[in-house]
Amino acid sequence: MSHAVPTPAGTPAQPGTGEGPVLSVSALRKAYNVGKPSERLAISDVSFDVAKGEFVCVVGPSGAGKTTLLRCLSGLLHPTTGEVRFEGTPLQAVPDRLSVVFQDYSRSLFPWLTVSKNVAVPLKVAGVAKEQREARISEVLHAVGLGDVGKSYPWQLSGGMQQRVAIARALAHQPDMLLMDEPFASVDAQTRFDLEDLILQVRAQFGITVVLVTHDIDEAVYLADRVVVLSSPPSVVEEIVTVPLARPRDQLVTRSSETFGQLRRHLMELVTAHH
Amino acid sequence: MTTPPRFEAPSLARPEPTGSADVPSTSDPVVAAGTTPSQQFTARSPRRRGGPLQRLKGLWRLWFFALVLVLWWVLSADSTSTFFPPLQNIVQRLWETWVVGEARSDLYSSLRHFAIGYTIAGVLGVAIGALLWKFQRVGHAVSPVLYFVYVIPTAALLPAIVAIMGIGSPMKITIVVLAAVWPTMLNTLDGMRGIDPIKLDTAKVLHMSPLTTVRSVVLPGAMPQIMAGLRHSLSIAVIMMVVSELIASTEGIGFFILEAQQRFAITTMWTGIIVLALVGSALTFLFIAVERVVLGWYIGARAVEQKG
Amino acid sequence: MNAVDTGWFRTLARLGVIAAVLAGWQLLSVAGVLDSSSFPSMTATMAELGRQLTDSDLWLAVWETVRGWGLGLLIGCSLAITIGTLLGLNRFAYLSVIPVIEFLKTVPVIAILPLAIVVWGATLEMKVFLVAFGVFWPLAIQTIYGVRAVDPVVRDTAAVLRLRGFRKFTTVTLPSAAPFIATGLRVAAAVGLILTIIAELVGGARGLGLSILTSVNAGPDRLPATYAFILLTGVTGVLVTTAFVALEQRLLHWHESQRNLAAKAA
Repeated sequence: MSHAVPTPAGTPAQPGTGEGPVLSVSALRKAYNVGKPSERLAISDVSFDVAKGEFVCVVGPSGAGKTTLLRCLSGLLHPTTGEVRFEGTPLQAVPDRLSVVFQDYSRSLFPWLTVSKNVAVPLKVAGVAKEQREARISEVLHAVGLGDVGKSYPWQLSGGMQQRVAIARALAHQPDMLLMDEPFASVDAQTRFDLEDLILQVRAQFGITVVLVTHDIDEAVYLADRVVVLSSPPSVVEEIVTVPLARPRDQLVTRSSETFGQLRRHLMELVTAHH
Repeated sequence: MTTPPRFEAPSLARPEPTGSADVPSTSDPVVAAGTTPSQQFTARSPRRRGGPLQRLKGLWRLWFFALVLVLWWVLSADSTSTFFPPLQNIVQRLWETWVVGEARSDLYSSLRHFAIGYTIAGVLGVAIGALLWKFQRVGHAVSPVLYFVYVIPTAALLPAIVAIMGIGSPMKITIVVLAAVWPTMLNTLDGMRGIDPIKLDTAKVLHMSPLTTVRSVVLPGAMPQIMAGLRHSLSIAVIMMVVSELIASTEGIGFFILEAQQRFAITTMWTGIIVLALVGSALTFLFIAVERVVLGWYIGARAVEQKG
Repeated sequence: MNAVDTGWFRTLARLGVIAAVLAGWQLLSVAGVLDSSSFPSMTATMAELGRQLTDSDLWLAVWETVRGWGLGLLIGCSLAITIGTLLGLNRFAYLSVIPVIEFLKTVPVIAILPLAIVVWGATLEMKVFLVAFGVFWPLAIQTIYGVRAVDPVVRDTAAVLRLRGFRKFTTVTLPSAAPFIATGLRVAAAVGLILTIIAELVGGARGLGLSILTSVNAGPDRLPATYAFILLTGVTGVLVTTAFVALEQRLLHWHESQRNLAAKAA
């Protein structure tokens, strides 16, 4: 059952090494209300690859179809044309080896289940036996820095803790890739820093590939190996920026480095250019 | 249970979180109060603003409705059952009795009592609800008594009211008011309690007069729930109108049905039942039409909210 | 909040109002404002209530009412929840049936009562049918919308967790629908009691409703009994409502509305 291949922190797999990309997006196009007068093109043409173990952030001006893109990547939405391949297979539904963390943890965590039972859901779906389930639940809860909250209900916890539970649930069945849709947009600034570091640490620990959509350029630079910049809709890929910052990263040191400032400035120009 | 009777959460007064295919669920107070189990189910029910062609497209949904009516017609055609006469006979009798016949006066009588009772109940409900909101401590103190009177099925009071007031219009109107005032009153109270305190603070900061505050903050804020209460009151008012006629009256739809039943004129009784059904539906749909006008802004805002 | 708004003072104020209402009733009777031939005094009513409470006829009436109400509720609610769930799960069925149910919901339930009386007479069946019929429509609608009202984020989450079939139904659909069904049940319980009383009053089936009617018809001497029965009906209503609210609080403790109530009570 154990798929977790630990990748030492600071040595993310380089794109192009090993087998093919984990996720491959080619000429993706998504239009809503096709054939109706209200037809609207959200994504015009987007292509990029994500290598195994890589951390890719997607940024773009507001309304750039970031969430639409993520929903296409996860298999929740079917592209109008173009293709998304996950581990070599074209996406039909949400694949087994993929997890998603949504922005709105208060709605995405089931309020009628305790924290443990929430985390248990993907394990039950995967058919994990009860004893192993218990062990796995406490393992992932500890991995996200939560101790004895298993018996609590999600809504009894703070926002930051709830998002940790959501991350734990996403990691429970040991997926190969994690998609995150603005995961830290609903928490306060301090919690946000904590969660950013948490996701970097968890990713290093589990060797997981992460694609994270955000509107926050600083966050994208801080987290990513590469940043995919989308244009305003109908979206195309404006540029894919490689982030050469050393790992492990540090909120204070990394963010105050010169490279960080330059990248930040460059991305800011790209994102605001068309406004 | 250690919980005291919670006047704040009465049973009838918190009408269902509802939605509807044809009817936008504006009357959903739970949604209005922001404590809805779900905000999205109305996403498919906001008013369609498509052209006439688009509206016609939805007509296929009526196939089942039509099927039910056709089946009734066909299956009852040769019916010899005493209780279920052929639908054709019922329709024919309906025409003779209610459209060209004498029974129209019964219809008018019922509608008159309903209209007077419902209007009084609505006005009283909003007024008392607002007062209970304004004077919260008084509201708390009187709540057990109000709760008790509210919980007594009003029909149980009917014989006593007949004993006090005798048979006639005042009795019927009293019954309708006594039963129908509650949903409006409790929803008004709930709706006003649910107004965002920031809005009230804003009113203060802007130095609004009390009258302006009520007109531009309190009433609009509570309106979705007030309308929900009024809608609930409407159905209760119709029921009590009929019950009062069934128990103590010499006119009205209820009396017409009862009298036909006692003569064992089953076909005639059926016509009364159908007229009553049509009256109930017509009043509800009339109310929905009014509600759409009054709550136009609210439906629009909800639709936008759900798109975003 | 200050001291005046909390604890014993509030309770005291409430008790005070109850006492004042009872005293006011008595005062109006003694002063002759309330005609004793149509509105007996508070003490006479209470004395009669005390006497009635030891009378087995009264308990028989209560039992008849509760039985009719309970059976009707059980049948109507079981059917409504089952059929509502099935209809809610299928978009085509839902779109087809909803116009019929929406129409029938607007029909005053009471319209069917004369038919039920003709068919069954003054029996328990008549009562049960009326209650079941009356609670079915609103609860079925509640259930249908509840089943369809899964939050879009929850629906997406269920999809990414690969929840399907029966597991999806029990893990996501049913809990999402539960608040709607609970509201529907609470309303059904209250409506059911009202319909039971009406069926007894109009249809003459045994129970509290009939007791009220016969005591009124027995003349002014029996009026205190009428009011005693009315009070008792109110008590039954309080018990029924409280029981359902308590049940709802227990089962839906996780839901926002209940959380808010808990916060308010704290």
